[in-house]
Amino acid sequence: MANSVKIEVNGSEKIVTAEVIDKKIWFKIDDQIFSYDRIDLATGNYKKSKNSGKSPDRILAPMPGKVTKVFVSENQSVKIGEALLVMEAMKMEYTLKAEMAGIVEKIFSKVSDQVSLGFLLVQLKENK
Amino acid sequence: MKQMRRVAIANRGEVAVRIIRACEELGLETVLLHSDVDIHSRAYRLATKKICIGPASTALSYLNIEANVSAALAAGADAVHPGFGFLSENADFAEQCEKHGLIFIGPSSDSIRKLGDKVSFKILAKTAGLPLIPGYEGTDQSVENLLKQVEIIGLPVIVKAAAGGGGRGMKLIRNMQDAQSHIESAQREALSAFGSSKVFLEKYLESAKHIEFQIFGDSTGQVVHLFDRECSVQRRHQKIIEEATSPSLSEDLRRKMGEVACTIAALGKYKNAGTVEFLLQDNRFYLLEVNTRLQVEHPVTEEVLGVDLVKMQILTAQGNFLFNAHDIRMPRGHSIECRVYAENPYQAGMPSTGKLGLVHWPEGPRRRFEYGFESGDMITPHYDPMIAKVIVWDETRRRAIDKMLRTLKDSTVFGVYTNIPYLIEILNHDEFRSGKMTTRFIETHFADGLVSKINEDQVKSWALLVSKGLRLQQANSLAASSKVSPGMAGSPWCTHWRGI
Repeated sequence: MANSVKIEVNGSEKIVTAEVIDKKIWFKIDDQIFSYDRIDLATGNYKKSKNSGKSPDRILAPMPGKVTKVFVSENQSVKIGEALLVMEAMKMEYTLKAEMAGIVEKIFSKVSDQVSLGFLLVQLKENK
Repeated sequence: MKQMRRVAIANRGEVAVRIIRACEELGLETVLLHSDVDIHSRAYRLATKKICIGPASTALSYLNIEANVSAALAAGADAVHPGFGFLSENADFAEQCEKHGLIFIGPSSDSIRKLGDKVSFKILAKTAGLPLIPGYEGTDQSVENLLKQVEIIGLPVIVKAAAGGGGRGMKLIRNMQDAQSHIESAQREALSAFGSSKVFLEKYLESAKHIEFQIFGDSTGQVVHLFDRECSVQRRHQKIIEEATSPSLSEDLRRKMGEVACTIAALGKYKNAGTVEFLLQDNRFYLLEVNTRLQVEHPVTEEVLGVDLVKMQILTAQGNFLFNAHDIRMPRGHSIECRVYAENPYQAGMPSTGKLGLVHWPEGPRRRFEYGFESGDMITPHYDPMIAKVIVWDETRRRAIDKMLRTLKDSTVFGVYTNIPYLIEILNHDEFRSGKMTTRFIETHFADGLVSKINEDQVKSWALLVSKGLRLQQANSLAASSKVSPGMAGSPWCTHWRGI
């Protein structure tokens, strides 16, 4: 359930509607809605959501959905910006591109696989 | 009059709710034909009966003709409403319903074939001398003939692979010097990509507006139009904001386009609700296509005319609706619809899925909310991202825009991201407010989505404050409860103290 809390925003006190849903906290300040990975108050840390373990060599699913195309194969070299695979969710296509040049070390998914958010799709490695 | 007692709904989301409401008001029972994941939806909770027709994948459920027809029959339905999308424009589905004695709430399968099929529609329109986008689809594919055709059509002209799609084998000719090389390269690309070098020529409309007319054929086959809508705000052919009536039509143009819309509908012997789409550029209009179904944006027409199109559809299917002279209505005021999509506007419109938390739509005079999901429901990756429609009406276009802005700002959806911030930016844009926007509006001004003015660190520090606030609130409430001793419940000291 959503609750209202008072917080100070830019020097003035605001009443903010907020709700914790699964691993995120959602709140609305003025007309804008924000969400953030849930913060553990005891440690000051927040629980990292699945896709925050992102680095250029790990291609993770940015959304839950279906893999519709795989353009690369293992041991192939790729350039920056090269399309690796296409995912589809809600009738929309999303192309995942390489953010580093390197070699495709391993592919963890194939066409028509249903994957969840943050699923490791492709592992790249540096070309030595 | 055909007896109707129970209506099967071959759809989901907000349109299923819309149809259920219309049926309830007409005293009809409803059967929702749904996929297994859609048990967490408002339509599921509202329908009189529900039957699962298959798994989430649309091919196995919402697009499965056999599953839909047999479930409708099994549930004892005597009619089927297809909504929009899915099987709504599928002539085979309409035919299967007809064959099995189910009343298809829409045009006949024959009309769908005549008007819904692009080739048959073009032939029909051409024969009747109605304005289509000028082009050449002939068999003489010699470069000399194609060059001659380019001159007849008038620049700019687009060359398209006849067998193609997705932009391959597509070239834009802007001047005659380049025409030959563009045609030849389009033919080469078409041959290598699709195995056929055949190309089409079509006039390229650079700054067209999307205008459409609501048409309606009553039980006797009399076709009228219920005025126009403008849907120029589109992204990749997906409409985002629609309005009635169009701010771009003179009375003369409106009358002419309305006549063309009725003519083509009558040629297809159209009964029930449909839409004739046009492109408009430099005060010239071209027929685009006919949508043989109810349209997503039908509410804006309902708002300016004071009609209920879904009830009209049902009554027409019962053979119980005809237009009388006193039904002739004139549009009044202005209505706008915004489609709320589950996507993140700050990440170039990336689809957003998850469990809905708080969902709040701020009620008010002439504000209308069509939604299919409530707090606790799941937004899944299997279907279209549209989760709701917000519709407003006001005396003038300017006031309707301002009403929409206020309504969207006061709307809250937690659990998935929505395009509401994106919609707000569009509504505030000068080109939209002036009414001059064309179908290129989004790609010109909003190609990359939005950039948040608030950085991640700021959001994190607020999130920390809000989390602390929520925790403190809980702790205080729990602490207070433990301090109430028996017999003290009525003490003003205690009640005051508890009101921290």
